[in-house]
Amino acid sequence: MDKGPFVCTGCALLCDDIAVELQDNRVTRVDTACRKGVSRMKGCVSPMPCTVDGKTVDENVAIREAARILKEARHPLVFGHGNSTLEAQQKAIELARKLGAHIDDTSSFCQGPLVEAILNNKIPTCTLDEVRHMADVIIFWGADPSHSHPRHLSMYSYFPRGKQRQRGWEEDRTAIIIDVRKSDTAVICGDKLYEIPVGADPDFMNALLNALSNKVPKTPFNMDPKRILELANILKKAEFGVVFAGLGMVYSLDSLDPLFSLMDKLNETSKFHLIPMVGQYNMRGFDHTLFRETGHINRVYFRGEEIEHGPQQSVIELISNDIIDAAMIIGSDPLASLPGPIAKKLAKIPLITIDPCENLTSRRSKVTIPSALSGVECDGTAIRMDGVEVVLKQIIETNKLTDEKIIARIMEEI
Amino acid sequence: MGFGQFLTEPEFKFIIVTHRDIFQNTAQESSRFSEQYAELSSVIRLDKDDMKKIGVKAGDSVIVKNASGRVVLKAESSILEQPHPGTAFMINGPWANALVAADTGGTGVPAFKNIEAVLSRSKEEKVTSLDELV
Amino acid sequence: MSNLMGIYQLLPKTNCKKCGKATCMAFAVDLLARKISIEDCPPLKEEKYLSGYEKLKELITPADNVTETGFLVHEDKCIGCGNCVVACPVNVVGDPEGTGSGRAPSNDKVILYIRDGIVRPVNIHECRRFGHNKTLCYACIDTCPTKAIEFV
Ligand code: SF4
Ligand code: SF4
Ligand code: SF4
Ligand code: SF4
Repeated sequence: MDKGPFVCTGCALLCDDIAVELQDNRVTRVDTACRKGVSRMKGCVSPMPCTVDGKTVDENVAIREAARILKEARHPLVFGHGNSTLEAQQKAIELARKLGAHIDDTSSFCQGPLVEAILNNKIPTCTLDEVRHMADVIIFWGADPSHSHPRHLSMYSYFPRGKQRQRGWEEDRTAIIIDVRKSDTAVICGDKLYEIPVGADPDFMNALLNALSNKVPKTPFNMDPKRILELANILKKAEFGVVFAGLGMVYSLDSLDPLFSLMDKLNETSKFHLIPMVGQYNMRGFDHTLFRETGHINRVYFRGEEIEHGPQQSVIELISNDIIDAAMIIGSDPLASLPGPIAKKLAKIPLITIDPCENLTSRRSKVTIPSALSGVECDGTAIRMDGVEVVLKQIIETNKLTDEKIIARIMEEI
Repeated sequence: MGFGQFLTEPEFKFIIVTHRDIFQNTAQESSRFSEQYAELSSVIRLDKDDMKKIGVKAGDSVIVKNASGRVVLKAESSILEQPHPGTAFMINGPWANALVAADTGGTGVPAFKNIEAVLSRSKEEKVTSLDELV
Repeated sequence: MSNLMGIYQLLPKTNCKKCGKATCMAFAVDLLARKISIEDCPPLKEEKYLSGYEKLKELITPADNVTETGFLVHEDKCIGCGNCVVACPVNVVGDPEGTGSGRAPSNDKVILYIRDGIVRPVNIHECRRFGHNKTLCYACIDTCPTKAIEFV
């Protein structure tokens, strides 16, 4: 067996320095991963059964039934993808094309807009390795990596010594956090927490823009202008700055324009980059793959030869407007993660779930097909939150099929 | 028995902000159906003075509802130092999502992190279970 | 987080001396330092003090989790983020390429590492707070998001 180190697929940080100990083909000890990474690599306690209509069946039966449902549907949706390898995502897109289906992923209500802006070169970005070696000013904006990406600060963004950052975080780096609350990450950033009201991110961007232009920064929530000017001064002096944009920021921006203006302004005086705090380990991978194939990162409808794209093709609007009449969900649990009223609607149409573990959606699905857990039971490639490709290794043997294989088999049946 | 139970409980308006939590996430990796996952996801954290105003103690059940849904949650006091009257915090998951509106104004992006809802005390009701949610 | 007054409040506060200490306060001081255990106060088991006993049991991690330098990890709070591991000056000097650079340990000179998602101390007598040239180092405490490390 491969001796490692292995890659953790617990989040889009894809930590690649993990060691494991095995017993009877099970992961019994995990070194260096964070708490949630360990939980993922050790595997879930409720593996998914292979079923049709709640009855346990043979894989072939489930695959045939899945193919039948998709073939008969007029508007099938293929959704999920954030927890699949690039290879499986590629296959899923192929399937959607063949079916003339709708395809979307979680980025549709998550980090999509930022990934899209980066792929269209509207925002300068950099890699996490560059952050480790060079970043001196680090902004966590609407993000709490201690909970979402636990090793973010220790592996790359704040604590490690890097080539140009040899003296450690106290002297070499400044971490700033902008959030609506004093999160656990904010606790570490000390007095560099800028607490703003819910949804006030555009106002704060504006104020910061003014401060950077040496105007008095006013906010509707009356933050002391002196503090904002102080912050502007730190940002102006940065040699290599990076903004880690969390969902708190993304959800507060109706349009990305205030962010574009801020990034432009910052780059007049210093070098600033942005990295989206992508959650699922390969959500960014899906966005890249679909973008390469269609020019869009998500929300695509393969209508014959044509491709339709836009908010009306988003998973939320498709369900909300009763467009889709069957859905295949790969590595995702939309019944848990979508707004309640939408989840209730989705539960009413025939669902096919492909996942290593049981979840809310699988329990309401007509067909469930267990798949191998990537990075543990199968290998493949994925794209880290910063756009860097990472190779996943297989750790244990399994007879479960990979997502890729399952989708390929469904395609053969169609 | 007092008269209290026959009167409707007063309702208080709140903005609910959701966030992630590694302990809930860890529980979820192990099983979406674990008790710990349900316990952590069905707590609403309130400002200490707000709790006095409403008359709830840590551990009490509260009804939280809006046009999208209605859930019974466990009230706990805030772990933040700064007061935050009118704002409540929840870990994101199906309980919080039950209150998120389907209407996105055509954008396709729901307001997951900024939920308006009203909250009132609940004497009898048990915290909503995962099964009741979907 | 356990503090002296908090512990004292949970004791019987009768100064009965059954523990061999002159006062409950003296008992609290030793309990905080894990020199003795809550079992050493017999009255605590009595019905009326039982709730205090239960709370203390949660508050005071048993002595075998405490190292000789008094380094204590609250395992229920630790998220395995590795901030302390990467920030610890002993790790940085002993393992600059591994832990000092944010990665897995690359040699056995580290005194903090992560196993099964929780920080573990090893050879903790190398800690800056210990030995002849001891300094009051806060690197692991200041960098912890959940305040899971304590020196008692
Ligand atoms: S930070 Fe993310 S990738 Fe790294 S060990 Fe934790 S869960 Fe896994
Ligand atoms: S035995 Fe208990 S009650 Fe008596 S003095 Fe000691 S601590 Fe106090
Ligand atoms: S006190 Fe300093 S030297 Fe000791 S373990 Fe903590 S960081 Fe390392
Ligand atoms: S910094 Fe705190 S939470 Fe992180 S590994 Fe160390 S003790 Fe655990």
